Amino acid sequence: MANTQGISGVAKQAALGAIVDSKTLKGALYLVSATTGPTNTVYTATGEVSGTGYTAAGASVTNANAAGLTSTTAYWTPSAAITWTTVTLSTAFDAVMIYSTTDTNRNIGVFTIGSTTVTAGNLTINMPTNDSSTGLVRFA
Amino acid sequence: MTEPLIYTIKGNIPISSLDYSAVWLDTADFIKLTETYRLEGEIVKESVHIYMKRALESTIEQGIFG
Repeated sequence: MANTQGISGVAKQAALGAIVDSKTLKGALYLVSATTGPTNTVYTATGEVSGTGYTAAGASVTNANAAGLTSTTAYWTPSAAITWTTVTLSTAFDAVMIYSTTDTNRNIGVFTIGSTTVTAGNLTINMPTNDSSTGLVRFA
Repeated sequence: MTEPLIYTIKGNIPISSLDYSAVWLDTADFIKLTETYRLEGEIVKESVHIYMKRALESTIEQGIFG
C-alpha cells in the first residue's frame, strides 16, 4: 500500500477547536445594505440591524459542542438555535455573524439567510446536524 | 370561551381578526418559513424560522516541498 499525503484530521480538529471549543459566542445580524463578510476580523457595529427588542452585538450562541472529527474532516455547530424573541426589525437584513467574545470578538463566520424582516415576532435560526457532512463550520 | 389574543404591533388582537399566511423558501443555503399576520392588509406580526443547510467549509491546503 502506498503512502498518502495530506493534512491530518487531528490537526484540522485542533485548528477548529482553537477558535470554538469552550468559547463564549454571540450572533449579530446585518442589514442587506451592509458589507460584512469573511474579511471582517472582528464583530462590527457597522451595518448591524437595530430595532425594538434587538440588543446591539446580538444574541448569545449556545456552544456546548467541541470541534468534532470524522476521518479527516473537522466540524462544529452551535448546540442550539439562535433566537430573538418579540423583536421588530423593519429594515431588511440577510446575514448573521457568529463571533467569539472570548477572543476579543473574533469573527468566526458570516452566514447569509436571505432578505428578512420581523414584526413583533420571533426570529429563530435553527442549526443543522453537527457532523462532518452537515456541520455548520467544517475544515475539510 | 374567551377568544385567544395574539401580540402584534397594534397590541393584543383577537387572532380570528387577522389574516395568516405562511411562506416557505427553500434554497441551497437555508430553508425559511415566514409566518405573517395582517390586519386589514397591514403586517402586524411576522415571525421567521430559518434552518441552516449549507455549512461554511474551508479546505486546508497542503503545500509541496520547494
